Amino acid sequence: MEFILNTVRRIENDQSKEFSLGDRKSLLEKLAIALINPKDFDKLNPNGKPNLKISSNFGIIIVKGVADEDVPEGTVLMPISIWSNQITGVENSELIYKNIKVDVVVTEEQINDLNSVINKIKEA
Amino acid sequence: MKRSVCSGCSLLCDDIMVKSDGIYIDEVFGACLKGKEKFDQIASQHRILSPMIRKNENLQKASWDDAIQRVIDLIKKSKKPLIYGLSNSSCEAQLKGIELAKLINGFIDSNASICQGKVLDNAINTGITLTTITEIINKADLIILWGSNAAESIPRLLNKVLFSRGKFRMTGREIKTLIIIDPVKTASFNTMGVRDVALRIAPGKDLELIKVLKEECCALDSIPSEGAAGLDKDDMKRLLQHLSGAEYGVIFVGQGILTPQKNSNLINELLELVQMINIKQERGRITLTMMGGHFNMTGFDHVALSMYGKRGALQFRDNQISDIDDTIIKKIEREDFDCSIFIGTDPISHFPMSLSSKLAKKPIILIDNRDSATLQLSSIVLPTAITGIECSGLAYRLDHIPIELKKIINPPNKIPTDEEILNQIIQKLKSEGGS
Repeated sequence: MEFILNTVRRIENDQSKEFSLGDRKSLLEKLAIALINPKDFDKLNPNGKPNLKISSNFGIIIVKGVADEDVPEGTVLMPISIWSNQITGVENSELIYKNIKVDVVVTEEQINDLNSVINKIKEA
Repeated sequence: MKRSVCSGCSLLCDDIMVKSDGIYIDEVFGACLKGKEKFDQIASQHRILSPMIRKNENLQKASWDDAIQRVIDLIKKSKKPLIYGLSNSSCEAQLKGIELAKLINGFIDSNASICQGKVLDNAINTGITLTTITEIINKADLIILWGSNAAESIPRLLNKVLFSRGKFRMTGREIKTLIIIDPVKTASFNTMGVRDVALRIAPGKDLELIKVLKEECCALDSIPSEGAAGLDKDDMKRLLQHLSGAEYGVIFVGQGILTPQKNSNLINELLELVQMINIKQERGRITLTMMGGHFNMTGFDHVALSMYGKRGALQFRDNQISDIDDTIIKKIEREDFDCSIFIGTDPISHFPMSLSSKLAKKPIILIDNRDSATLQLSSIVLPTAITGIECSGLAYRLDHIPIELKKIINPPNKIPTDEEILNQIIQKLKSEGGS
């Protein structure tokens, strides 16, 4: 399904805070997530598979899907983090953090943990 | 109990109370969640307490002498060093950062260049009507959050500007109108009352809204019947009425406005709109305030401007400022660097993968006090004191007002400040005959 991705700052999903005061588990739980409208979530037919594979022209990431009724239909929100930045990009030497076209599917694949994301960056 | 300035975000609240014996901090009163987190970092279990050098793929503890020497060796080998960050450092450290860039013929920039600094860059052509927090408290009757979620990014901002009573706003919240323009129902929407206006704009349609407002500026009878940007005609009418009728309005500009839309310069369009409204405004004026996140993001702009007449992106050649038009993004895209020095920032997390992967290919020197993704890829890590708690210094509030930060306690392990570390590198380079 096609969505528009927006990355957002949220006080409860703050990467700096989790790096300082949390641990690798809390970092993953708080940041490796994508918020979508419950109606869109149902359309994706999660059936016990809450993980989402999100692809943009800039990359792919697997994160946990979280239903949130404050998110407009057709939109995916991700907290600003190393996870969201795997699918954000640069156009005309400008950073593109918002209004990015993405394709979202449910997946049984595991969520990308911090090590796997860092390895991907190292090997790219 | 002493009154102190909080360096948790760019609002630099100067009304928090700290109970301390000068060795430990017992209690902090009046800080928001962000401020509390800042103080919690003092005793964070992930805090970096000693220098580290990467050996056999792993970061290993090292002595200060060894770590500094490795930094000097890396810098001496480098022909195109990059210095970036410094928005979480004092102005004194920012000055030292620029001094180091000049000495080693490097490129230096701050986080502001990818954030609110873009507004100032555009204002060179259009002009800008800025304001201060005090002016907003005393005069504002209209507060607009445009693409900014103040409740979560600068948590006490609305306490100060919306719920306060000012000299000409003694009735306080009751006389102030809040308008939020955002596609997402953020936490800031929870502060809205009956007289306020929630505008859930369609995603990516800010440009369309600004263009319609510019075309129809202050002409209420010519708003398109179908509305625009996902807003209906009545919403548009209410927005225009407030913009053209406010005695003193302020637009808080957030990240939602800083991302380009349809290859158009959204910031420029907004600045032009504000100018048009102010020309037509009969009662008062509309002002802008940028919402930088890091506590001294504005500081680097002032330091760089005062030294070299440029807000950021300073390139040095032959120990002189070079007049080339470059940006941190273009430098990384072109891989026009062979070593990076990051100060108080985590670019491996903050930049898109196409840039972070390029940074990861070259040696990274990190000066910071906490764990981060950048730390995982750094060659050398130098720990630093927390500015505003463990060391003093000057910082600029988001409204460009300079605020003095005071030291409350000593840092653990006698960790030096950003300024001291940068100065140590400069002195060592000079004693060894430059870069």
